[in-house]
Amino acid sequence: MIRFENVTKVYDQKARPALDSINLEIDRGEFAFLVGASGSGKSTFLRLVLKEDRASSGAVYVAGQNVANISSWRVPRLRRGIGVVFQDFRLLPQKTVFANVAFAMQVIGKSRSVIRDTVPEVLKTVGLEGKENRLPHELSGGEQQRVAIARAVVNRPGILLADEPTGNLDPTTSMGIMGVLDKINQNGTTVVMATHDDDIVNEMRKRVVELRNGVIIRDEAKALYTSMIPIVGQSRRLRDASGREPEPAAVPAAGTGADARAAGEGQL
Amino acid sequence: MRLQFVLAEIGSGLRRNLSMVVSVILVTFVSLTFVGAAGMLQLQINQMKGYWYDKVQVAIFLCSDGSTAAGCATGPATPEQQDNLGKLLESPAVAQYVNDFQFESKDDAYKHFKEQFSNSPIVDSVTPDQLPASFRINMKDPEKYQIISETFSSQAGVETVIDQRQLLERLFSVMNAASLVAVSVAGVMIVCAILLIATTIRLSAFSRRRETGIMRLVGASKVVIQLPFILEGVIAAVIGAALASATLWAVAHFFLGGYLSQQYPDTAFISAAQTLILAPALIGLGVLLAGVSSLLTLRRYLRV
Repeated sequence: MIRFENVTKVYDQKARPALDSINLEIDRGEFAFLVGASGSGKSTFLRLVLKEDRASSGAVYVAGQNVANISSWRVPRLRRGIGVVFQDFRLLPQKTVFANVAFAMQVIGKSRSVIRDTVPEVLKTVGLEGKENRLPHELSGGEQQRVAIARAVVNRPGILLADEPTGNLDPTTSMGIMGVLDKINQNGTTVVMATHDDDIVNEMRKRVVELRNGVIIRDEAKALYTSMIPIVGQSRRLRDASGREPEPAAVPAAGTGADARAAGEGQL
Repeated sequence: MRLQFVLAEIGSGLRRNLSMVVSVILVTFVSLTFVGAAGMLQLQINQMKGYWYDKVQVAIFLCSDGSTAAGCATGPATPEQQDNLGKLLESPAVAQYVNDFQFESKDDAYKHFKEQFSNSPIVDSVTPDQLPASFRINMKDPEKYQIISETFSSQAGVETVIDQRQLLERLFSVMNAASLVAVSVAGVMIVCAILLIATTIRLSAFSRRRETGIMRLVGASKVVIQLPFILEGVIAAVIGAALASATLWAVAHFFLGGYLSQQYPDTAFISAAQTLILAPALIGLGVLLAGVSSLLTLRRYLRV
């Protein structure tokens, strides 16, 4: 569903690249966590998928299509296939819950009857029945994030990108949100979630892709937030030894689930 | 649905940005009024040309008592000289350029003078003797004035030959200068309007960046995102242009048609209806101004 081939993104020629020769494949229907410190390249990764930025080199494929070949007037079509959720919800404060979700359908020209049918259904999926007419400030943070998720998936995108969706929420609420995302994932949507929240990652046991300084240093299936061995020193040593290119065995770049698991267990 | 959505967006944009929208309306109103004023002056010049060029005559003034011109050294024109001039006008060499001519005697001249200056005390101090007799010639082609002038200036008893058209030309050049001034003021105002529209759209885009951000994310097309902003500027500019057209119409109707045509009943002023042909041009110009400046602004401030 999402495939990065040797993708490098350089914002500033003098600084190190934000992403450095990334190879990664996320399959249809997969749920992947993107973890790593601030500045490790998570947001750049998401921006490249959305074609908010162009890769400096390499190719980004979304749903089988190289985004570099999508002309600017067809970018909206690409984005209709991708839902996005943010840490700060980004709801429209003057609009009700219903109107916030309906907005995403209105602007792409869905008819009123379709909107009337679809929005309540999606609100039910995220667990907000009966709150259609509330304004965002009348909702808790968790509920607001559910509205944002409903808006992101109301047009049935194949991919849902979540950029630290639980960053502003307490642990219990976060788990609720994760339940919603998991449900959406089980309906067939590919979910990529960038996060710092170790509890959530450890609880979910999904694929984990860890970035550091623009390089994938870990890609494990059903993994934890951190691997058991102190990978910090190891990866630094690896990079020192072989330049920028991480050693494939220790750091599987585009690992399938099995490969990644094998590699992860190897490290264990 | 999409149209309805765009319209709703425009409405909310206009409401949120009311003070800026009003200023855009006023600036386009003033600038387009100046453009229209220049257009009206040109219409008026054409109108007067059409009206007067049929009526203007070449006048051959005969020597009178007070004449100081070289040809009048022998004193006032004699009846013989007058007859000679009449014959010369009828001669084939000259007649081919002349439609018809009348002789205006001193008494006729006095009568016309009295009519023309009936309100002025100067009438009382003028006698028929002081006014020159003249031949009034209607030319077939007013451009051929030079031939008449050359033929008659040197004739005995002729004081001077005057082409009334030249008097009009002077008036027209004043009016042309006035319309140039109007156009240059309009130019400055149009620059103001363009910048103001650009600023307004920037503000509008800024105040709605949340909405437009979400619209981008969910894959709204460029048209749906940008059209409300462009139309906002266009609507404001069209209102300004409509106001300008109404103002020009009012000036033509109440000032030219009412006041001035009473003061100068024998002058052909443009009618109020004629100014309405300027309206589509002004509105078109307004749309163009707003459209171009908003397109340029959006390219910078509202990437999709």
